[in-house]
This record gives sequence, structure tokens and C-alpha cells, in this order.
Amino acid sequence: MSVLPRASYFLRTALRGLRSNPVTTLVAMGTIAVSLLLFGSFALLLQNMQSLLDRLGDELYVTAFFEQGLPSAKQRELAVLAATVEGVEGVRIVSETEALERFRDGVGSGAALLEGLSENPLPASLEIALVPARRSAQGMAVVAESLNGLRGIEDLVSGEDWVEGYLRSVALVRGVCIGLGLILSIATMLIVANTIRLAIYARRDELEILSLVGASRSFMQTPFLLEGVLQGASGGVGALVLLFALFRLVLPEFEFGLEMLLGGIRLHFFGLGGMMGLVAGGGMLGLVGSVAALTGGWRP
Amino acid sequence: MRERTRSLARRLGVGHAEGVEPRTAAANFFHVSKSYDAGTYALQDVSLELARGEFVFLTGSSGAGKTTLLKLLFAAERPSEGQIVVLGRNIARLGDGAIPALRRRIGVVFQDFKLLPNRSVEHNVGMVLEVMGRPAKEVRARVFSILKQLGLQHRRHHHPLSLSGGEQQRVAIARALVNEPEILLADEPTGNLDPELTVDIMDLIASTASRGTAVVVATHELGIVSRYGKRTIRLEQGRIAEDVPAAGSAA
Repeated sequence: MSVLPRASYFLRTALRGLRSNPVTTLVAMGTIAVSLLLFGSFALLLQNMQSLLDRLGDELYVTAFFEQGLPSAKQRELAVLAATVEGVEGVRIVSETEALERFRDGVGSGAALLEGLSENPLPASLEIALVPARRSAQGMAVVAESLNGLRGIEDLVSGEDWVEGYLRSVALVRGVCIGLGLILSIATMLIVANTIRLAIYARRDELEILSLVGASRSFMQTPFLLEGVLQGASGGVGALVLLFALFRLVLPEFEFGLEMLLGGIRLHFFGLGGMMGLVAGGGMLGLVGSVAALTGGWRP
Repeated sequence: MRERTRSLARRLGVGHAEGVEPRTAAANFFHVSKSYDAGTYALQDVSLELARGEFVFLTGSSGAGKTTLLKLLFAAERPSEGQIVVLGRNIARLGDGAIPALRRRIGVVFQDFKLLPNRSVEHNVGMVLEVMGRPAKEVRARVFSILKQLGLQHRRHHHPLSLSGGEQQRVAIARALVNEPEILLADEPTGNLDPELTVDIMDLIASTASRGTAVVVATHELGIVSRYGKRTIRLEQGRIAEDVPAAGSAA
């Protein structure tokens, strides 16, 4: 007995099964697609937030603002001192002029506001880069504490509060993603299981005859398993298409708000692995759903 | 212990405990009874042997046990008492997983045809070969061949409901014969056919016996029985009332 004729039979029978109840099939696929779209949206948000966190790791600085008018020699002295602190990878002095230039670049058209100023209000500062092990809210706090109180330094800004808040947001989105994923997985499996149960009921005469002419249980069950997989995977493809459409068409409308939330990072869609994961995940849920349908009262 | 096992295996018509096929018997019944309710027997103490290539008519009034006997032969039912060995397999002890393989070696013509109304004739007949995993090309060729023998090749794309009762019956026969079974069971296979077609169909069924297939035909049409002069088992209230050997054969 060859594998190929059987595989061909299973696929033909599964497709015929899906076609024979188009409304039920489409409703099931649509519901799965919406479920996976919801999950995919949060997964995409999480992916982008996570990538911002990875990128920020290289850009986390502790900034020490010098007192106004501190002589350059004293600034260099403090820089040498700061470089010796444990956890510091390197230091760089940002002069008043450079600080103003950066501000000008940062505000864009708002730079016109600076035209009215008679003198540069921005202080010189020391940008202190941290070793990778200290690139966290806690690590920043430790380094900032070591520099606190040094004569000539007026203020220390480490951004640890922002990082802590951001990490909490990432954890929250991750939690939502997992919770939503679990709930929607169960919902998807139930949808597929019910659709397959209906299909089994609709084809009970055929199953009886197949059994009488010598079809094994696995021979009769395989097309239903395949139907479940196809429903789930199709739902996954549908979710992917919808998500991509939303990403391309709707997201630009909220770009400003998202930039504020994500710190100006450019948003990226799923890579090939992520896209295949969503479709395969849909297929897997479909398979589990159809297994549940077949094990719950399958008596050909 | 080994000798006892061999002795029992010989009695049951099997080569040894694992079930090597007997050389001659297609099926053996040893004191078989079947009851659905306690005390009500559909079959009672039936013992018989069906040889390979043998043609047997099963007669008797409605409720005599003909259909039950056929069902026991293809393991649609299990005996309540006694042993049945079909193609070397003991039905009473056959695991559920082994039944499909046995059924693939047996062709059955059901009284109510059991055709799928929304599938073509070709699909209805070909499903037996698809179950066996035959390639699509071979399925098409063999289905066409058997339909041609039964004069239905031009109807292969039709659905059963668009066929006459006689044509549906021939489709059921085609499905039972398409995989060249070792045993053919037919429950009233000519019930819906006109006299001329009845003879054609019975000739076809009889010819399968001459090719080595054991054939059991349950019928109440005594005209056919007398025309063919084959071994005839008459059932009465679940018991064998008469077992008449084929004309010209030793009893």
C-alpha cells in the first residue's frame, strides 16, 4: 500500500469536507482569524517593545550636569574620576555648545524658539556609558549613587525611573499576550472541535459504509484531523493578512502616539519566522481541536 | 501444552495460535449462537463449513437468522457462544483493530445497498480500493472494468438517486466485487431486479465462485435456488433446518 495514494485521498476528502459545509467552515475560519489577529496584535506590540529594550541597552547613559561655568580643567578632572567608578565603561564631556546643537536637532521646527535667547541656557555635562552588566535601572542607580555629591556636579540624571516603567509595561504586555493567547487558544480549539463534530455527524453514513468495507479508524479519522489543521492554518493566514493590512494602513494614523510610547523606534512587522509561527500555531490549534472532537465520542 | 494448542488450532481451522489460514475452509462455524436479548436467539447452535470457491444459498423466512449469519461472517456482530473462524481469523477473539483488514478481504452486498447518495457511482465503487490504498489510476481502471461487466459504465458519473433500483443494486454488487474478495456475501442481491437481469447478476456472482471466491447468497427466491442447484442451507428460527449439498456433489 503506497503512502501517496492515501495522502492524496486524505487531502481530497478533507477539502471536500470543508467545501461541503461552506458556511460553517467560513465562520470557523473567520472566528479563528479574528482570535489570532487579537493575539498577533499583542505579540507584534511585544516584539517591538522588546526590540526597543534591546536597542536601549546600548544607549543607556547616566548624565552628570556640571555646575554653570565650571572650568574645563575641572570638567576633565571629574571625567577622569567618573571613569574610575565601577560599572562605568566610558565617559564623554558634552560642552554647552554641543548640548545646544543636540537640542536644536531634537526639536526640529521648534528650534525657532531658541532664536530669542541671548545666551546658551544649557549646561555642559558628562555622558557616562555603562558596562553591559550595569545597563539596567538598578545598575544605573548604583553608578549614579557613586557619583552623587561630587563637587562640581549639579545634577545627575540616569533615566532609571523611565526604564523601570518601561520594563513594567513590557511585562504587562507580555502577561496580556500570554493570557490572551491561552484564552483564545481554548476558544479556537473549541470552535474547531465543534466544526469537526458537525462534519462527523454530517458524514456518519459515509463513515458507516467505510467501516463496513474495511476502512481502519485512522483511515477515517485522518481527513478530519486534516480538516482541523486546514481550518486553523487558514485562520492563521487570514489573521496575518488582516494584521499586515492594519499595520500598513491603520498604524501610520497613530504613528505619533506610538512613537511617544515606544520612544521613537521604527515599528517592524513580524519576520518570516513570526509569520510562519502564527500560521503554524493556527494549524496546531486546529489539530488539537480536531483531536478533541475525535476522541470525544468517536464511534464509527 | 504446545500439542494442545496445535490440536485446538486444527479444530478451529487455523494453522497455529497466531492464525495462519487454513488451506481449504474460507469459514467455519462451531456451535455458534447469537442472542440480542437474554433468552432470545437469532442464531442457535449453528455449525457449518464454507469452503473456498464454494457457492452457498442461505434460505429461510424473515427472521430466520440469514442476515445475522452474514453479519457474523464479516464481523459486524460477534457470536454470543461458540467460535467462528473466517479466513483464518477467530471472530470471537478478533481485536477491533484487526477487523478492517479482515473486511477488506470480504465483499458484501447489503440488502439496503448502503450507497452514498451524494457521491458518484464511480466513487461509491472505488471507495473500497481507496481504503486499500490503491493508486487513483488503478482505482479508475478497475472500477470501469467492473461497471462494464455489470453494464453500468455509462452511469459511472451519475449519483445513485438518479438510478433505478436495479441499477443501484448492481452498483452495490460492483462495490462488493471490485477488490476481488476471498468471500462474497450477498443479502437478497436480486431483490430489485427483473427476471432477465436476475439471471445475469446471479451468473456473474456464480462465476466469482468458480474463480475461488467463497460465495454466500441469502435469498428467499426459491426459483433462483433451484435454477443453480448449489448447496443450500435453510435456516429456521435461528437453527439450520436443512443443509442440502450442491447437485451432483457427494453429501
